[in-house]
Amino acid sequence: MSMSTSKEIKQTKYLNPYLGGVLLGLVLLSANFIAGRGLGASGAIKSVVATTIKAVDKDAVKTMPFMAEYAESHGSNPMKSWLVFEMLGVLVGGFISGALAGRLKLKVEHSPKITSRRRLIFALAGGVLFGFGSQLGRGCTSGAALSGMAVLSLGGFITMMAIFGTAFALAYFFRKNWI
Amino acid sequence: MGPLAPNELISENTNFLFAFLIGIAFGFVLESSGFSSSRKLAGIFYGYDAVVLKVFFTGAITCMLGLLFMSLFGWIDLDLVYVNPTYLTSAIVGGVVMGAGFIMGGFCPGTSFCGAAIGKIDGMVFVAGLFLGIYGFAFTYGWWEKLYMANYLGEPKISASLGLSDGLFGLILILAALAMFWVAEWAEKKFPREAY
Amino acid sequence: MKPLKLLGLFIIPMGLIIAAVPQNKTNPYKLTAEEVLNEANTRNQFVTADVVADMIIKKDPTLRLIDVRSQEEFEKFSLPGAINIPSASLLSEEYADILNQDVKMNVLYSNGTLAANEAWMITRQLGYTNNYVLEGGLNYWFDAILNPQKPASTNPDEEFAKYDFRKSAGQALGGGGLTVQAASDQAGTSAKPVVKAAAKKKKAAGGC
Repeated sequence: MSMSTSKEIKQTKYLNPYLGGVLLGLVLLSANFIAGRGLGASGAIKSVVATTIKAVDKDAVKTMPFMAEYAESHGSNPMKSWLVFEMLGVLVGGFISGALAGRLKLKVEHSPKITSRRRLIFALAGGVLFGFGSQLGRGCTSGAALSGMAVLSLGGFITMMAIFGTAFALAYFFRKNWI
Repeated sequence: MGPLAPNELISENTNFLFAFLIGIAFGFVLESSGFSSSRKLAGIFYGYDAVVLKVFFTGAITCMLGLLFMSLFGWIDLDLVYVNPTYLTSAIVGGVVMGAGFIMGGFCPGTSFCGAAIGKIDGMVFVAGLFLGIYGFAFTYGWWEKLYMANYLGEPKISASLGLSDGLFGLILILAALAMFWVAEWAEKKFPREAY
Repeated sequence: MKPLKLLGLFIIPMGLIIAAVPQNKTNPYKLTAEEVLNEANTRNQFVTADVVADMIIKKDPTLRLIDVRSQEEFEKFSLPGAINIPSASLLSEEYADILNQDVKMNVLYSNGTLAANEAWMITRQLGYTNNYVLEGGLNYWFDAILNPQKPASTNPDEEFAKYDFRKSAGQALGGGGLTVQAASDQAGTSAKPVVKAAAKKKKAAGGC
């Protein structure tokens, strides 16, 4: 699985990326064919957030414009949403794949040049920014960029360019974390 | 004739069941391609690992071709397929913020779930960050509402805004992507790193 | 072969094909010919002139009159508030939203009933609802509403009621300034069709 001959660089056995891409495209295609919509991720978390806010404050729909806007596009039970079921599936699917490939391991993955702690701090900060940005951008890389591109959405395309463009532009400043 | 759910050929609950199954497939493919590793994900920005580029664009193109061909054969009604709306300002600003989050955290929401699923603690922490970020947005919504709703252009397609047919744009995208893959493979050879 | 080359070998031809072949813009049939025939035979798509006249006078907002004759004929004379969708352009995309909806009651009319009924059948084949046909068309409209015949003295009361209604309606619609109040009760015995809020296929919500 992991160690091959000493000559080769240690390889973890992943799918060929092009094959992975085709498979991903087929999964996305089936989502569009079956549900009439693409994949997504941040929306599921938004559902959980809305549910918890509603649970704590029953009148949130009236006091918080965010909740009102959310309630407009979603039914009475925000957890009964397509994305929530999809993301539960993602957890299962990722787990199965990791299990089959022997990649299940509780660890903090980080460049040897930095500490675990530093990695986790940046992971948290990155998550906060990404979560916030996904709301403004009406989607994340799965929903807006990937699914958006597949249906030729202009908004999705723009968001994708902004994400990758910014990441490239800022890469230099965070290089110590990765290389 | 697809799509099935909007045409009411399947019930809402069946749709949710499919969502779960599709999610499993999604998570499986992502993890198998290496998207559970933040170091692999960040690799495209430093040249040493172009997996994000390859999987992403191949995936988008495969699905796009699939949809266009299915429409050609009359198997799907593209008018009923969701096309993301374009709110120009927030699309850009949101994208910029996400880009910063990406290069800092090394994950995006979907991949962080994959990472978390196989035990990556940095993935789990990223997910926690996502929650905080969205809570933050929810409670400060009033400050951003104007920006969030600005410049609504409807649901234009890229092909339409460039004045091209869907198919022609698809061809151009394919050629552009193949060119990028070629450059990426050159970069991967030039900046090799230990595989993660 | 290198995976990249293999990939290119597959998707470039597909891209070329999809770029070259024109898009499929045909409207799929939703009802079979038999289903449309059965519906046509029930004659439920017809709306009487009385009902339409009443709706016009009462300024009923759900009414939308659609003239399926040619533009010239439409410009020569048309019913108040009517729009023109010539039969020849019935399937054009710009009218799809007007014909395929569940807010208004579209009443198609032509000189007689033939053209309007044909148009109606086509909309039914496509699965559109809330489209109706003006019974008798403009020819009957002129005779009955704008120039109603006074019934013989031996005719039943309803005939007189109808006549009164039509006379006042005709005057109101023919441009006269006569106010019509009593008309409302006698607005014909046929019930006004209800706009079916059809389960219009909505796009799935998406994003995020």
